[in-house]
Amino acid sequence: MIISVEKAVTAQNDLIAARLRERLGDEKVFCLNLIAAPGAGKTSLIEKTIAGLGGRFGILVVEGDPRTSLDGDRVTAAGARAFQINTLGGCHLDARMVQVELDRADLGAVDLLIIENIGNLLCPAAWDLGEDVRVVVSSLPEGADKPLKYPETFSLAQVLVINKIDLGPFLPVKAADIRAAALRVNPGLEVFEVSCLTGAGLDQWLTWLGDRVGQKMAELGPKDPLPRSGPSRDPLG
Amino acid sequence: MHEMPFTQALIELALDKAEGKKILKIHLRVGWLSSIVPESVQVFFDHLSRDTLAEGAALDFEFVPISLACQACGRVLDLPYQPSRNPRQALAQAFRDGCPCGAGKLSLAGGLGFDVAGVEIEDSV
Repeated sequence: MIISVEKAVTAQNDLIAARLRERLGDEKVFCLNLIAAPGAGKTSLIEKTIAGLGGRFGILVVEGDPRTSLDGDRVTAAGARAFQINTLGGCHLDARMVQVELDRADLGAVDLLIIENIGNLLCPAAWDLGEDVRVVVSSLPEGADKPLKYPETFSLAQVLVINKIDLGPFLPVKAADIRAAALRVNPGLEVFEVSCLTGAGLDQWLTWLGDRVGQKMAELGPKDPLPRSGPSRDPLG
Repeated sequence: MHEMPFTQALIELALDKAEGKKILKIHLRVGWLSSIVPESVQVFFDHLSRDTLAEGAALDFEFVPISLACQACGRVLDLPYQPSRNPRQALAQAFRDGCPCGAGKLSLAGGLGFDVAGVEIEDSV
């Protein structure tokens, strides 16, 4: 006897993520899921975001790393609350890990939740964390071939931040090349070009993010949970 | 390593659907462009299904074509699965070739998911 299932393998994770999304909607917390290769500058972007928006919004950061609390310490030093998850080798965060952290958080004073995923361009893509917006950070030295090599990650994101544009004069790759390759895989991407070192381009990022956080805070009533499960988890299909 | 959490999740999903019956076969649908390697899923499955009702079940993989949408004419092109070809190369080639309409750029529109299509269970006696 054959039982029809027609569900994404990740259906259980999608269910937990949908509940998280609902809770964050009720609490009016705008949530980012930051995905990037190790060293692309996720934590630097978070530090700059805290510096730029920390005065206006309550910011909570959930830090994912295989080991150490180094990033959590950087976030704390930058002036925001941080929960550090250590996956002990696990290559991505899943919704249950985030749920455990949020269950011990009082979200009353939080307007912006930033989840920094494990440094990895491959594995985090399939695991919904209940975020409003998924951001890929790709830095100039990584080259322009990453969108084609990791299409899941780029096609599932809504925003691309190209970091380290200050290195432009020293590298053959141009930010425009990365932008074009990413738009090929996902024409709907919103793209920001920044340098977390010099501060170039960060104003546009902060303006965009501040607007989105403000919009979420102004929403009336409980938000409808987004239906994420269902047969074709293929986000593009 | 990449396939381990997926394999654990698919076993849990299949066991849930089988409702206490022995599982004979699990039908899986893999996007050709997804980063899922069936051989690796099989290795993890053999270990993770041990001592469960899914132990010994066959895994059947069906590949879903990569699909590309033309941004000018709206046409959707499928790149059917070819076992001997690297899907990323196929995708790059299709991007270079563009749409037969000659006008539009192609963008990725499908071929990434990993689904459990169905579960074959032992008939009740």
